[in-house]
Amino acid sequence: MTLAVFDMPSPRKSPLIQFAGWVGIALVFLAALFVIALWLTPYDPAQADFRNRLSAPDATNWFGSDHLGRDIATRLLHGIVWSLGLSFAIATVGLLVGTMVGLVAARSGRVADFALMRTTDSFFAFPELVAAVAFAGLFGPSTTNLVIALCIVSWMKFARLARSLAHGLDERDFVIQARLNGLSPRLILWRHILPNVVPSLLVLWTNAWSRTILSVSALSFLGFGVQPPTAEWGAMLLDGKPYMQTAPHIMIFPGLAVLVSVLAINLVGDRLRDLLAARDTN
Amino acid sequence: MRTLGLRLFGLIVVVAGISLITFALNHVAPGDKAMIIAHAKYPDTISFPPELLQDIRDEFHLEKPFVVQYFHWISDITKGDFGVSYASGVPVWDIFLAGLGETVTLTLSSLGLGLAGAFVLATLAVRYPGTAIDRLAIVVASIGAAMPGYWLALLLILGVSVHLGWLPAYGAGTLAQLVLPSLTLALWVMASQTRLLRSFMLDAYNQPFIETLRLRGISEREIFFSHVVPHARISALTMIGLDLAALLEGAIIIELTFARSGLGSLLGGSVLSRDLPVMMFLVMFFATAYVVINTLIDGLQAIADPRTRTLGVRR
Repeated sequence: MTLAVFDMPSPRKSPLIQFAGWVGIALVFLAALFVIALWLTPYDPAQADFRNRLSAPDATNWFGSDHLGRDIATRLLHGIVWSLGLSFAIATVGLLVGTMVGLVAARSGRVADFALMRTTDSFFAFPELVAAVAFAGLFGPSTTNLVIALCIVSWMKFARLARSLAHGLDERDFVIQARLNGLSPRLILWRHILPNVVPSLLVLWTNAWSRTILSVSALSFLGFGVQPPTAEWGAMLLDGKPYMQTAPHIMIFPGLAVLVSVLAINLVGDRLRDLLAARDTN
Repeated sequence: MRTLGLRLFGLIVVVAGISLITFALNHVAPGDKAMIIAHAKYPDTISFPPELLQDIRDEFHLEKPFVVQYFHWISDITKGDFGVSYASGVPVWDIFLAGLGETVTLTLSSLGLGLAGAFVLATLAVRYPGTAIDRLAIVVASIGAAMPGYWLALLLILGVSVHLGWLPAYGAGTLAQLVLPSLTLALWVMASQTRLLRSFMLDAYNQPFIETLRLRGISEREIFFSHVVPHARISALTMIGLDLAALLEGAIIIELTFARSGLGSLLGGSVLSRDLPVMMFLVMFFATAYVVINTLIDGLQAIADPRTRTLGVRR
């Protein structure tokens, strides 16, 4: 009975740490791919070669070449930094800002909490894509404006989740015990609240990352985001769309790249969620 | 009643917040608004006399402080005056009504198709767990959620319209033109709802009362339709509300990709021609529609599931 108050989960022993290791390895692998793209491919992503226009996939151009004779495989590899990198940064901004807003709201009085959460609701109402399209219309379509627009609407889900998790933890025995022991609110936040909200927020972060990949590429495909000739995958699709009847490979491979990366990140998120659920039931 | 009042107050605050964000964005956008209006009104003219620009500034209160401009805009809106398109001179409201029908048709048809597909697939997956159909449901859910809608649209245009010549690739208005866009969007709805319905139904089957019903000799069919489906329906209702923003976004992408008329195409067109009144109205509409429909769904949920009625009171 006396042990019941010490039900604090011990994050250090959980498989989550191992899992984080795997994610790290995957990221290093992606970075390595990019380095290979920079140094080892014989082609320049922007170098046109008009004698080799729209050539089908073969031994020299693995995924074929586009309407300017640029190697599609090289451009896809360079696109990692745009399609995956930009959305990684946007999702991370959302994670940091949202966690901060949510925890501040959970720690403030009723009025400040109401104001913060209704502000969150107001931002939440703007579908990402609508916000980004409108932003492109007001400030002009460009990579910078795309990133700013998507960052503005990236944090609300994190704020809501962080706030509700923090409220839930307040009633847990180990937090009550810490409070009774006279720990300062700031220490409770850092030692007890934060370590316990981060895993769930990370699951949401993987979800936000993959959704943002879809948004970034869709907006670029529609002409409101990254502009050609930058090798972003959606922009490549926009570039290749007029040639899709004669050379379908031009539009098949960039779309496939989006599909595979989103699928991979979603699977990582699912695995992380399963690990969390397993930890919570133990 | 107190919960309802608080919800309504919150809704009003949120809509006011939406209008403030929209107007502030418009206000800080670069460029001389008078020039933008003049360009949109007289697209063939390059330079404008200063008197004309001054007239425009006076007419649209462009030299007043931000707060005054905002209240002018809001008071016009509350009177039902949403402004006039810079480009065509037609009232924004009329342009909006012309596009609304196509978007509602696309959204509802794909929501219906997707939900029906998801219900069948999830039911089969739950009734025959561990079989090929169960795995198929998971694969469809995973791939559908990761599929870029615009890319699927291009693949369908290439395969069905260009190679097979079965259906038109572009435009809106006829049923044949609705099939491909609707299918594209429906796959996404089906993916997200299959996964959720499957887990909600499994959750229902894990409840102790199901075992009790079995012991009492109730048939599996009746257990499924009278107990499992209602249980999953409540949870699914909430998720439809949450996925609504994604559905609207999907509709915008699909409309632009298939060159369909509708609100998404209007938004894209107004952005390209810098038709600010149309653009601001559509942004306001999408955001307001999202919060209003979500509030309605919460209300529906309270009707469908008495347990949630008290939840709003806590905190």
